[in-house]
Amino acid sequence: MIEEPYRWVEAIANRREYIEGQLAPGSPIAALGYREGILFLTLGQMRQKIFEIYDRIAMGAIGHPGDIERLRMAAIELASTEGFTRSATDVSLRRLVHYSLSPVLKSAFEQIYGPPYLARMLFAEVGERPEEDLFLRVEYDGEIATNGATYARARQDFAVLSGTQRSRELMEAFLKTQHTPDASLQATLNAALDAWSIGHMTLQATEAKELPERAVVAKYRQEQLATAGIEAALLERDVSRAIRYRSLSDTELRSLIND
Amino acid sequence: MERSPVAFDQNFSGAASDFPALLQSKGLLGPAIAPYQVVPGQQKTWQPTEATTILAFKFSGGVLVAGDRRATAGNTVVYDRADKVLEIDRHSIMAIAGVPATAWEMARVLEHSFQFFRRTQLQEMSVGGKVRALSKLLRDNFGFVMQGVGVVVPIFATYDSHPKPEARLYFYDAMGAQFEAADYAATGSGSPAVRGILYYENTWSAKPLQQLNEDEAVSIALRALDTAAESDTSTGGVDRSGKIYPLIKIVSRDGITTLPESKIAAVFKETVA
Repeated sequence: MIEEPYRWVEAIANRREYIEGQLAPGSPIAALGYREGILFLTLGQMRQKIFEIYDRIAMGAIGHPGDIERLRMAAIELASTEGFTRSATDVSLRRLVHYSLSPVLKSAFEQIYGPPYLARMLFAEVGERPEEDLFLRVEYDGEIATNGATYARARQDFAVLSGTQRSRELMEAFLKTQHTPDASLQATLNAALDAWSIGHMTLQATEAKELPERAVVAKYRQEQLATAGIEAALLERDVSRAIRYRSLSDTELRSLIND
Repeated sequence: MERSPVAFDQNFSGAASDFPALLQSKGLLGPAIAPYQVVPGQQKTWQPTEATTILAFKFSGGVLVAGDRRATAGNTVVYDRADKVLEIDRHSIMAIAGVPATAWEMARVLEHSFQFFRRTQLQEMSVGGKVRALSKLLRDNFGFVMQGVGVVVPIFATYDSHPKPEARLYFYDAMGAQFEAADYAATGSGSPAVRGILYYENTWSAKPLQQLNEDEAVSIALRALDTAAESDTSTGGVDRSGKIYPLIKIVSRDGITTLPESKIAAVFKETVA
C-alpha cells in the first residue's frame, strides 16, 4: 500500500477524517491574556483539561486521555530537564513546541501503520507584559498556530481551541471584538465564558456563519453554568514569584460572574 | 505495530515520575555510586568535613532554621556570605553542612523533583515522600562520601498540612538515614556545642523551646551560633566587625519567611552582644 503514493494520500485523508470526528465533540478551551496574566477556562469537569507544564507554561487539551497524558508528560519532562540543566528562564514554549512536540506529532500522524496522537493542545507562556504572551495551538498532525501577527491578521491576545474549526473561528471572531489585553480578571472571565458558550453551542452547527445573538449566548451560558463546573487556571504575571501557575476553584470564580 | 522511531524517550514503567531517574536516564545526573576502590595496603580513613554549624528547632511560630555564613576549605575561609539554609519549595527548607558543590546540587535536584512530582502527578508530594527523596539522594552520594569528597549532612524542615497540621523537622546522617527530631536538630562541626545549648534550654530553662516566641527563638539561635563559633574555627557565628549575621528562616503554615538582617541585628544588639 505504502508503495503507491496516492494510496498513502488517501490513508492520510481517512486518518484526518477519523481524528477530526473523534475530536469534534471536545468542549472548547479559551486562553485569554489580560493585565495580570493569562486565564485558561473551560466548562464541564468530566476530566481535568487544563494543566501546569512549567513555571510560566500551561496547557489545555482535548482528545484521547491516554494521548493527552503522554504528550503532557513529555512536555513536562522536556521543560523540567531544560529548567534543571540551564535555568527556568531558558525554558521556552516556542522551542518546546516547534522543536520537540511538532516533529513527533507529525511523524506519528504520517506513519500510517502506527497510531497517531489523538489530541489537540493549546499552550500559553506568560510574559512580563501582555504583548510578550505567547499562545500556540498544536494539532494532532504537528501543525502549529500562533497568536503572532501575520500578513492578514493583527496580533491576538488570546487563543482558543475547540472540537470543530467552525466553532473555533466563531470564538475567535467574538474575542477579536470583545476582549482587550488591558482588561481586569472579571471582564476577562466573562469574555471567556461567553466565548466558551459560543464555541460549545456551535459545535454541532456546521453551517453557522454568524455569531449567535447576544441574548441567545447569555441564555445558553446561564443554562450551562447551572449544571456544569468551571475549570480554570491562571498564569500570573507577578514577577516576584517563580511559579506562576495557579488553578482557580469553581467557587472562587462564581462570585466574579456577571449575570 | 511498533511505535514510530521518533517517540518521546518516556519511561512507561511509571518510574518517570521520579525526577532523578529521569535525569539519570538522560545522563544529566552523576552516577549513583562513584567508583570506589580500596588500594591494598593503604588504610583509608574517612574524615568527616562538615565545617559549619546549622541548627533548627521548633518554637511557637513553626520551625526556625539558622546557619552561619562561613564557607571554608581546610584552614582557609573561602567565603563569608554563604547561604546554607536553602528554600526547596513553599513550605520546605533544606539546611546543609558539608561540601557546598554537592549540597547545592542536591538542593537543586530536590527542588525540581518536588515540582516535577506535582506537575506530573497533579498533587503535592507528601512529607514522607519528600523526606525519603532527600534520603535517596544522600544514599546515592555515599560513594563520594567514602572517597572523602562529597559529604553532605542536611537538616530538612517542612510544614505538614496532612493529616495533622504541624511543623516537622528531620535530620540525616551522611548515608541517608533519616531521623525525625521532636524538638531540635543541629549539624556540622560546631553542632556539639549547639546541641548542648539546645538541650539545656529545652530541659531546664524557664520555657521549653516549643513555647518560645519569635524574638526569644532568634535570640537563642544567635547565642547558640555565637557559642559554636567561639571554639569552632569553621563556624562564622556573628561577624561583629563586618556586620554579617547568620541566615535565619522560619517555616510556618503560611510558608517560609526569611528574617530581614535588620531584625536579626536588633535582636542581636539587645540580647546577645
